[in-house]
Amino acid sequence: MGVSDYFTLTGIISDLLICGIGYSLLFKKDGIKVIYAFIPGIRDYYLAIEAEREEDGKTFFMLDLCRHITAVMAALFKDGSRMETMWNMAGMALLLALFLFGIRIYISLCDVFVQKRIWTLLWILFPGITSLIWGFSPKFVPQHKTAVEYDFEKAAKISETTVEAIQNGLTVNLTGRSVMNMGRRVYLLKDIHLSIPVGHMVLLLGGSGAGKTTFLNAVTGYEKADAQILLHGRDFYNNYESMKYDLGFVPQQDLMRVNDTVRMTLNDMANLRLPTSLSRKEKRERVVQVMDKLGLLSVKSSQVGKLSGGQRKRLSIAQELISDPTLFILDEPDSGLDGVVARNLFVTLRNIADEGKIVIVITHTPDRVIDLFDDVIVLAKDAARVGRLAYYGPIGESYDFFGKKSMEEILLCINQKDEGGEGRADEFVENYSAGLEKITSEEKNE
Amino acid sequence: MSEVQTDLKHIGRLRQLIIYLNKLFRLFILQNDWKVLPMAAIIAAMVSLAVGKGLFKTMEGTFQGTFALTCVCIWNGFFNSIQSICRERAIIKREHRAGMHITSYVGAHVIYQALLCAAQSIITIIVLGATGVDYPAEHVLSLNVGTQMAQHGIDAASGGWVMVPQFTTELFITMFLITFAADLLALMISAIVHSEMAAMTVMPFVLIIQLVFSGFIALPASFSDISDLMLSKWGVQGLCVIADYNSLPAVMIWNRMSSGGDRIDVGGGVTVKDIMNIVEEQGMRDTVLQKLSEANSREDFVASVQNLAESWRYLLLLGVVFAIITVVFLEFIDHDKR
Repeated sequence: MGVSDYFTLTGIISDLLICGIGYSLLFKKDGIKVIYAFIPGIRDYYLAIEAEREEDGKTFFMLDLCRHITAVMAALFKDGSRMETMWNMAGMALLLALFLFGIRIYISLCDVFVQKRIWTLLWILFPGITSLIWGFSPKFVPQHKTAVEYDFEKAAKISETTVEAIQNGLTVNLTGRSVMNMGRRVYLLKDIHLSIPVGHMVLLLGGSGAGKTTFLNAVTGYEKADAQILLHGRDFYNNYESMKYDLGFVPQQDLMRVNDTVRMTLNDMANLRLPTSLSRKEKRERVVQVMDKLGLLSVKSSQVGKLSGGQRKRLSIAQELISDPTLFILDEPDSGLDGVVARNLFVTLRNIADEGKIVIVITHTPDRVIDLFDDVIVLAKDAARVGRLAYYGPIGESYDFFGKKSMEEILLCINQKDEGGEGRADEFVENYSAGLEKITSEEKNE
Repeated sequence: MSEVQTDLKHIGRLRQLIIYLNKLFRLFILQNDWKVLPMAAIIAAMVSLAVGKGLFKTMEGTFQGTFALTCVCIWNGFFNSIQSICRERAIIKREHRAGMHITSYVGAHVIYQALLCAAQSIITIIVLGATGVDYPAEHVLSLNVGTQMAQHGIDAASGGWVMVPQFTTELFITMFLITFAADLLALMISAIVHSEMAAMTVMPFVLIIQLVFSGFIALPASFSDISDLMLSKWGVQGLCVIADYNSLPAVMIWNRMSSGGDRIDVGGGVTVKDIMNIVEEQGMRDTVLQKLSEANSREDFVASVQNLAESWRYLLLLGVVFAIITVVFLEFIDHDKR
């Protein structure tokens, strides 16, 4: 078989026309760009998105690509040769994987279009004709539109404002944070400008997918955004290597070696994070001091795996606190902890903030400890499903701004309607943005 | 602390390497990693019972035995480190962000695993010896040094040459290098995959590839390039070289013909067994075995320093390549998704 034979004319026509037309009609029903239906490979990925199986779509695309490569490689070798057989066998294995992923995507597609799963069989055997039927017939309509092409018209406008850098605290001027996903740019965050003075404990509030962790990763420089992050006036991104020791990030999971002891875990972290100018004795003293502050002295010789949930969380915090960072960030430190233990933990965090640190915390149960916070950052998904700043300021004023009595109510009112919320995110994003612009222009005039 | 901590010096790669090395040795006890040592003894004993009889005595027994020993070394190496990185990937990511150097982390693992592999190799040699495997008195380096000395008119048996290594030393170095290279291959896999389950799924595939391309199974010439990348090939070569494979008698054909030769009539009522009896009566058995051995000899198994050095060099080189790939992959750990 020659290379040219592989790309037969009939194959191209059947692929481009029958499937192209069928898929384009289907995509139209879901608000996906019709052009994608005529690009082999890409159209399967978008069909998977329509079936709410984006990850499977990516895998399907990669497998399909590999299958084509194996077919071309097989065509390069002599008929019946060992190498041709090997490539063909690899192609068969990929075909089997494609078949299985195809079943998953088509079953899901049937569910999204509220059709019987028997259609899966037709999709596998005759994708072109089946897509034409589904495309032409008005009977086949998706339950709800896939979030691929968002309503950018309805999304809150982007402000031109930035905040002035403060010398004693954290300044964030984030224009955008985006990722490339299968050739398209997807924005995760946009237009977030705020400054947090030292000594403040700040709550980071937002619904699922609002970009809380993305925002923290952008602030910490773990995932750089189109932003300027200043800590005490120094650019965090440009001086990351020297400034990273002044940042403590406590992840949601307790990432520690469970078979090591508490003291050795902290000793090693102290050796890693503390400067060489400190003597061994000073480092040991710092470890004892941090263990004392977080109530870990009594379990210093215990193995990490034998600690309670609260103790493990405190150890996780101690690991970061060892270097006495200015900026201290915690991602859901109270997950899995009961009310009393969680409250004690937040009291400890409040004490850390009172020592002149900036503490930013994500928590899903803010109301039980809200009295310990100074400010709140509210992130919300706008109509284009991009994380935006809906509010930043004192806790008390936030209730007036949203017209609500608790953080839980605020969360409900900014969540999208399909998530059970009131869907008022864009309204508050615009209001906050307008207020910020007003303050900034007043400051400039002064 | 109101000022930003900047321009402060933190410990370098070497000090970090020592910290991680300490941690690994601590966890060796606390995490029960020591279990790989008795396991190595048990596997060695089982292999010894299965193939120990003909090992280093006959051509066929040595070929089978060295292949089995290579498999043992690869298995030990794989098992040592296949999960060591992937099981703590999230922790590595956190520590990397806190200032840990990947080269220090991998360097500590390499040193720690080297010691573990050395211990396993020693245990395997002791167990093989204890379970009845006879180690030859002659060995490649002494053979070659002896030849060199003879060429220079020095009597090798006159003493004063105790620094010439023993057979077990050569066996240890070869087994250590196979185990260590396999260990680093598993470490590399552990750095590439993202979960313990994925590591354990990939491991048998890699093991099968190593076995298929070891040279134990006859493969077409077109696969020789792939074989060159296999630890198993260089492992079998190294062990056969030190066993002086080409000088060993090939007894399998003789033994088979002895047991079934009376049923094969070569004409006129004379059986193969009759011919063999005549050969034995005339004292030509050893000559026949020698001829069979010559027919089965292999260039790459000649007991020469060059062949042994080639085997060791490739094993070391592959190990270094695996360690470098491990570092390269781990350097991108910050890009791991949540």
